[in-house]
Amino acid sequence: MALTAAVVLANQPAVASGAPGSSSVTDRINHATEPYDSMQITTAYELSAKTVQSKEEYQGGTFKVLARKDQISRFRCSVCHNDKPVLVQNGALFTHGDIKVNHGLGENQLTCNECHSVGNRDFLVDKEGQKIDFDHSYQLCGKCHFRQKRDWLGGAHGKRETYWAGERVVRNCTSCHNPHSPAFATKMPATYSLPLDE
Amino acid sequence: MDSRKNNEDQIETEDMSDNKSSRRQFLKKMSIAAAAGSASLVVGGCGGSSQTEEMGLKWEEYFKKHYRLMTPEEKDATVERLERLAKLQRGIDVQMSNQEPHENVLYGYAFNISRCKGYMDCVEACVKENNLDRRAKTQYVRIFEMDPGQLDPTAGDGQFHHEVPVENKFYMGVQCFHCENAPCVKACPTKATWREPDGIVVVDYDWCIGCRYCLAACPYWGRRFNWGDPEVPKDEINLNQHYLGNRMRMKGVMEKCTFCVQRTRKGKLPACADACPTGSRVFGNLLDPDSEIRFVLKNKKVFRFKENLGTEPKFWYFMD
Repeated sequence: MALTAAVVLANQPAVASGAPGSSSVTDRINHATEPYDSMQITTAYELSAKTVQSKEEYQGGTFKVLARKDQISRFRCSVCHNDKPVLVQNGALFTHGDIKVNHGLGENQLTCNECHSVGNRDFLVDKEGQKIDFDHSYQLCGKCHFRQKRDWLGGAHGKRETYWAGERVVRNCTSCHNPHSPAFATKMPATYSLPLDE
Repeated sequence: MDSRKNNEDQIETEDMSDNKSSRRQFLKKMSIAAAAGSASLVVGGCGGSSQTEEMGLKWEEYFKKHYRLMTPEEKDATVERLERLAKLQRGIDVQMSNQEPHENVLYGYAFNISRCKGYMDCVEACVKENNLDRRAKTQYVRIFEMDPGQLDPTAGDGQFHHEVPVENKFYMGVQCFHCENAPCVKACPTKATWREPDGIVVVDYDWCIGCRYCLAACPYWGRRFNWGDPEVPKDEINLNQHYLGNRMRMKGVMEKCTFCVQRTRKGKLPACADACPTGSRVFGNLLDPDSEIRFVLKNKKVFRFKENLGTEPKFWYFMD
């Protein structure tokens, strides 16, 4: 037993020499240039949430985003937004009186039709008149929030859904942000933390 | 360098096995004989066959090897015993894994201090996922409200009872940083804690003697001690467990964040990263140049806490 301890102790400084310098973990990370095929982790199976293939590229490959249209309670919009007449008593239900827009700085709030297409209510629309599918709203959001979109594509903004491995599935902009009021609300914290030195 | 390190690890473990296993095997044989003896006594006394079984399993557990010296069969056997013991002692159907690390995977973590809003959903998710002691309020992950310019979480406030986020404050999450050059590992006199090949620093709770040297050695307050038997309501116990992860701890042993080894080795995000509603927590494989964590390291302003200590934490803070 004493012998064990001696040998183990003798080995300690050698292990400890992994401190800064030639063997740092950052060096090891920087030398790892071979892409890792995370599909080999077979336990990262498909999600139950509905996803769509993104129209953007990630590190030269494709990825999926969480679908949005299923989450919109009154989609398709053209069921109401059409040429048929509407009874006055249904007006309160049909107008979107519950939606408060708080998107933009100070007085410069966005109006409905800066994002929603007037011609076809089933689509969003950008400043160039390009129709954008609700499932691919990142194409529209990224027109203004291009820095966030760049980070989102790379993975520094937003988050992956459930798995770090397997096929890349990330949350859509509208999975986390309410597009009509995109800033996160204040709320009470879930719990509290004791000081570190206790 | 890596191969050299591995060699040294090998030497150490081989050295351990030479000395201890023969003695342990001897004791084990003794123990089985003793268990048989005591079993017959118990049967004679109160006639509970489940009690006999429990006692036998406990004997076997008591005389098992260090986890790193076990063969795959021995690892399976101990996991099976622990599952059975959980059934006998607590009446719960635990599914315990001893899944080995994946090759070419080194886990890393990044925390966005400009995104975190202090909601603390991560803290709560961690407590539930890892079966943390509710009575002592053990937490692996902690969040502190900080003034601008501060970067020392000991100066932050973790007990804010107001709506968050507050203007002109930022929120900093602290947990085990899974150092490549971990001081806690070096401090342990029984080698009950070590760094796995995928970078996760783990504890063999059955080998820990509770001396708390590691707790004193860690410059990041990453380790927690069980002063009493951890209490978790039976219906809240997470049954998906890992031998080196969230299996039930006992009084007098150390525990710590394991990057949710029971989840991450299955390809899942750690519970804290999964629970975060703000996307402040980025987790992934540091050896994969296409991973999100590598994107953060390459493209964002990052820093590590107390980097000058040379501990090589695999946990980076970053800003938008």
